[in-house]
Amino acid sequence: MKQFLLHLDETFALGRKFIIQDLDERHLFISADILDILQSKVDDLMDQISFPLAEKGI
Amino acid sequence: MGPPKRFKKDNDRGKWKKRKEDPEEYNDDDTLDDNETEGIPDAAKNDVEKQDDTALEDEFGAKDYRTQMVLKPDCSLRPLWVAPNGHIFLESFSPVYKHAHDFLIAISEPVCRPEHIHEYKLTAYSLYAAVSVGLQTHDIIEYLKRLSKTTVPDGIIEFIKLCTLSYGKVKLVLKHNKYFVESPYPEVLQKLLKDPVIQECRLKNTVEDEIITNIQNKTKAPQFGAKAVTNVPTGVTKVTETNDQVPAEAAAVPEDITTFYDKMDKEDEDEEEEHELKTVSFEVNQEKIEIIQKRCIELEYPLLAEYDFRNDTVNPDINIDLKPSAVLRPYQEKSLRKMFGNGRARSGVIVLPCGAGKSLVGVTACCTVRKRALVLCNSGVSVEQWKQQFKMWSTADDSMICRFTSEAKDKPMGCGILITTYSMITHTQKRSWEAEQTMRWLQEQEWGIMVLDGNILFQFFFHNLTCIMCLEVHTIPAKMFRRVLTIVQSHCKLGLTATLLREDDKIADLNFLIGPKLYEANWLELQKRGFIARVQCAEVWCPMTPEFYREYLGCKMSKKLLLYVMNPNKFRCCQYLIRYHERRGDKTIVFSDNVFALKHYAIKMNKPYIYGPTSQSERIQILQNFKFNTKVNTIFVSKVADTSFDLPEANVLIQISSHGGSRRQEAQRLGRILRAKKGAIAEEYNAFFYTLVSQDTMEMNYSRKRQRFLVNQGYAYKVITKLAGMEEEPDLMYTSREEQGHLLQQVLSASDMDADEERIPGEGLRPIVRKAGNMTSMSGADDAVYYEYKKAPSSSTANKHPLFKKFRA
Repeated sequence: MKQFLLHLDETFALGRKFIIQDLDERHLFISADILDILQSKVDDLMDQISFPLAEKGI
Repeated sequence: MGPPKRFKKDNDRGKWKKRKEDPEEYNDDDTLDDNETEGIPDAAKNDVEKQDDTALEDEFGAKDYRTQMVLKPDCSLRPLWVAPNGHIFLESFSPVYKHAHDFLIAISEPVCRPEHIHEYKLTAYSLYAAVSVGLQTHDIIEYLKRLSKTTVPDGIIEFIKLCTLSYGKVKLVLKHNKYFVESPYPEVLQKLLKDPVIQECRLKNTVEDEIITNIQNKTKAPQFGAKAVTNVPTGVTKVTETNDQVPAEAAAVPEDITTFYDKMDKEDEDEEEEHELKTVSFEVNQEKIEIIQKRCIELEYPLLAEYDFRNDTVNPDINIDLKPSAVLRPYQEKSLRKMFGNGRARSGVIVLPCGAGKSLVGVTACCTVRKRALVLCNSGVSVEQWKQQFKMWSTADDSMICRFTSEAKDKPMGCGILITTYSMITHTQKRSWEAEQTMRWLQEQEWGIMVLDGNILFQFFFHNLTCIMCLEVHTIPAKMFRRVLTIVQSHCKLGLTATLLREDDKIADLNFLIGPKLYEANWLELQKRGFIARVQCAEVWCPMTPEFYREYLGCKMSKKLLLYVMNPNKFRCCQYLIRYHERRGDKTIVFSDNVFALKHYAIKMNKPYIYGPTSQSERIQILQNFKFNTKVNTIFVSKVADTSFDLPEANVLIQISSHGGSRRQEAQRLGRILRAKKGAIAEEYNAFFYTLVSQDTMEMNYSRKRQRFLVNQGYAYKVITKLAGMEEEPDLMYTSREEQGHLLQQVLSASDMDADEERIPGEGLRPIVRKAGNMTSMSGADDAVYYEYKKAPSSSTANKHPLFKKFRA
């Protein structure tokens, strides 16, 4: 997941850099104002890789 | 009591298919109060669909059917909800479950069958199938009324009437080798005869304008079961058995349900046995059969094909019988009873899970008809297996069975059973002289029964599923199939398959090419009774290592696939699982669609592997070793092993890469380990099915997609996020960063070719390939993944549920 954020940061997917400091293996220090967009981005990712089971069609 | 809440969220109006589902709600199995919100996905035929437009919807799209359905006072004793859109929900814990279940199987398509509540759907085709096995319109409606907790909506009754009234009224009967259109209703026949097209087809040498009327006394036509197999309870005793049990076990059941059930069951069996039946018929020109069939469908009087094999004197009987040692399991018997229900052989499809003894059903059907039989299967390997099965269960010997494949060509003259592959029959290029002769012989014959084995049906359905994505490739199997039917003249067709994926109503073609579905078994029930293995399905989530995930995010699609398959954590999980099961003494098959990964995994772990280019002798050697050598407990195979290898020993299956979201493949692979194991009841589970999935990648999506079919059959998948004990396991590979980095380099330098899934030579346009597993690629399965992927997002956003659109926008 950290890699995903790094990727977003590097590719300017949100229009700007937001990571302030790369702390360690599992932690990043990011700017607070970006949090909402970031959360929705992560939700999007999760939606992409999940598939509704009840869907019975194609 | 009410419908479980979890049905609630997946209902909405119109296109229910593309809806996303609220995951939180999904596991909520609580029941609501009385039918407050009747939530049913709307999938029935258009005319049913329209019925519930008037129903009010709540914010989730759940519908309020209270106005249309009135709860009966004794509702708790009755097992069914019938919703106005054609969906039926059955409580599997109800005392009358057994009756209701048999009935619903006959009249509707199972949609989803988990443990407690089963969902069925009424469709035009399912009703057609019901009629063809001998149910009558008013019986269906009456019984549905009695089983239902509420009043049955008027729309449904209308729908049933609409679908069934015209069906089953006329039959196409082959008698004394002439085709007759037969009907007990003179007025219907008159109507048909007024049609100019049908007049054309009518054979004129009979006295002009005279319909043959014959009064048949059917009492002497013996029932299936009463005659064919002596050591199996006959059809009639079976019925009485259930009669005896019922009052004892379900005293609380309303009287009308049980009595009516008995009546109906009897009727199905004895329909024509008891009373003299007056039928009228006219003879038709054999060459115009197809035209007349088509025309009759247009006139809404589809012809049911039946074969009166007992009165067929032109075709010689072949001398085979079942061996006394062949004992049919109850469900096998039941399926055959549907087929031979009125003393004639009906064409149709029987659906049984892999490993549940489809071939015995086929053999028994052949022994019952006792006319020349043609068995069509997918590959040379299955041809051999069918031959073995015939020798095992019936009195047929080598001289009666003729194999017709590229490798083995027995002399066809004078044999009773011909076993061949689809590709041999449909081969269009030049053949050897020998094959030419056999083909000519084959075309000249009139076959009593044609058994169509397995996956072709499946692919036929699959074709419908994927045809939107990739038209050309997928039309091939359908065409091929038609070809088989035009080349070979058979009186009766029996399709045996493991899975009919119901892709909406597109099964129309098949319905009329072979016949309706006669029987479909419930996987979970067979599992409970030990006829097939009890499988624990598990999805193991392997976190991507940071380096791999980084690359994954920044590369193109084909590379992504390779990256998530080669994920070092996945490798370690796989290695750990293999070791774990080797210590238990299990036999493990590891599946990988990706050849690069297959080779890499197998070579690293020093295990034998089989894929497309592996030679036949090497394959056999490896398989023999796997079967008998205790030192070889694990093999790696590519998708060539999906269908054609019979590996009864294997009880663990690990999937490291798979073909996109193919449900068919998932089901087929599960089938590899489904054969009932020894000591079946001893342990809770005796077979294991692992899918290794790299976390946070597209693979999760595919995996979920693949599981749909099995979940609908009632299987539960366990998600394992961490394998206990993996940390302690010594010397697993790729623990260190350097090793992982090295692997990453290898993966990145791998060419695009490696990233592709295996391609089997000869796929595509050429209809003949003599390789195991070729049918899969012929249906275009190889290419589907990319198309499917591209297609999905656009179409799924188009009809998304309003609730989810909000999030998506």
